[in-house]
Amino acid sequence: MTSARARSLRRGIALALLLGLWETLARIGWFDPFYAPPPSHVAQVLFELVASGEIWPHLGATATAAFAGLLLGLGLGIGLGFAAALSPRLAELLEPVMILLNAIPRVILAPLFVIWLGIGLASKLALATILVAVLIFFSVYNGIREVDQRLVERVRTLGGGRRVLMREVYIPSVTAWVLGNFKVAVGFAFTGAVVGEFVASSRGLGYLLQFAQTTYNAALTIALIFVIMVFVLLLFALSERLERRLLAWRYS
Amino acid sequence: MLRVSGLTVGYGEDPVIEGIDLEIAAGEFVSLVGPSGSGKTSILRVVTELLVPLAGVVELDAPVRDVGFLFQDDALLPWRTVRENVALGLRIREVPAAAIDEQVEHWLARLGLAGYEGRYPGQLSGGQRKRVAIAQVLALKPRLLLMDEPFASLDAIVRTRITQELLEWVEREHLTVLLVTHDLEEAISASDAVYVLSHGPRATIQARHVVDIPRPRRLLESRRHPTFGPLVQQLWTELSTEPPRR
Repeated sequence: MTSARARSLRRGIALALLLGLWETLARIGWFDPFYAPPPSHVAQVLFELVASGEIWPHLGATATAAFAGLLLGLGLGIGLGFAAALSPRLAELLEPVMILLNAIPRVILAPLFVIWLGIGLASKLALATILVAVLIFFSVYNGIREVDQRLVERVRTLGGGRRVLMREVYIPSVTAWVLGNFKVAVGFAFTGAVVGEFVASSRGLGYLLQFAQTTYNAALTIALIFVIMVFVLLLFALSERLERRLLAWRYS
Repeated sequence: MLRVSGLTVGYGEDPVIEGIDLEIAAGEFVSLVGPSGSGKTSILRVVTELLVPLAGVVELDAPVRDVGFLFQDDALLPWRTVRENVALGLRIREVPAAAIDEQVEHWLARLGLAGYEGRYPGQLSGGQRKRVAIAQVLALKPRLLLMDEPFASLDAIVRTRITQELLEWVEREHLTVLLVTHDLEEAISASDAVYVLSHGPRATIQARHVVDIPRPRRLLESRRHPTFGPLVQQLWTELSTEPPRR
């Protein structure tokens, strides 16, 4: 057995033991099922959510907000990052704003977006976008400013001008920085969408979570947390494959 | 081919080099030796327009695009394959694709890199990366080749082998070369003339020595030439002299 398979097996056994212990303690009454329902009950709630089809519109709403926010955030972050790195005057204006936005927990903007944009998709999109855009802005801005000067000089001595430098040095260098943060960006986009729904909405996993919390439904809460975890892990795996494909030179 | 007059370069108040005069005839191989920090690299950077001097004139009998620069670091694009790195300068000059392919094949074969075309620089040894850098520069057919301790990071055997190959190419093609190096023996065994820079700041040319060893040369055999030992000794003495206190 390979060491990776052995490690996976050990983790699986540890998880099964933990769930078994939790199930036993809940069943013999050491855990109050109101606060910590047994895993079997959580699984049943999860099954009902999926089998009844109730989960899909909510998952669809969250995924839409997260993906759209991710794309918009990437576009905005890359655009502003390049603009600031290439224009010192613009950098003077943008950098303090971005530093401030980076320093605060940006999810606190969620109520403001609801006031400005309503409880529909727009406010979730805005939150996901700003979470991603600030992260990507710094990836691009730093990526360009800290580009390896030896490569720049190399291309210049080969006769390359600004356009060639952009194509051969700056864009690949920045791509590496952005892809290095892509997994975090995916997580941020999902966080933005769920938190936005949690604050005010009529659809989405965040909305369901908020509903579960106000009705003190711990089983539903745990089931939803599980759904979100699985979804994000799936996205992480996809992001990693994308990163490995686009940064083949780094992994070779 | 290259004439440098009254060159002064500095990054702050104190010039690193001051009033440098240097001349290289077409087809001549010239080395520049000097203590660390004496500004040797700065001279090459001014010639390639990477650095603007405080004063002085650089006259080149060729457009700057005909100057090839081999850096101390191989500085290959890590995201480009060996083939793409070698082709980079040709692509920048908008050489037709078929001609690029032909040139790249030629240089890869010549420098023993056939079979490595699809690899990335991170997958190569230090010596192989240097060969890629050499191929990248020589594929542009430079008339003046500037080298800034290009093989300093290699072990002695690989370094001697690559330097010998390059020397043979230079002699065959009558290339003009300006080599910056710390290695006195390398400088003498490869060059027609050796310039000695004094200690910086405000380093100046303190001597120019003609190397009277016949060509074509073999690096190791050159070291057995009767003029070799005394010249090494003389350069050593000049470079060991403590700079006067200012």
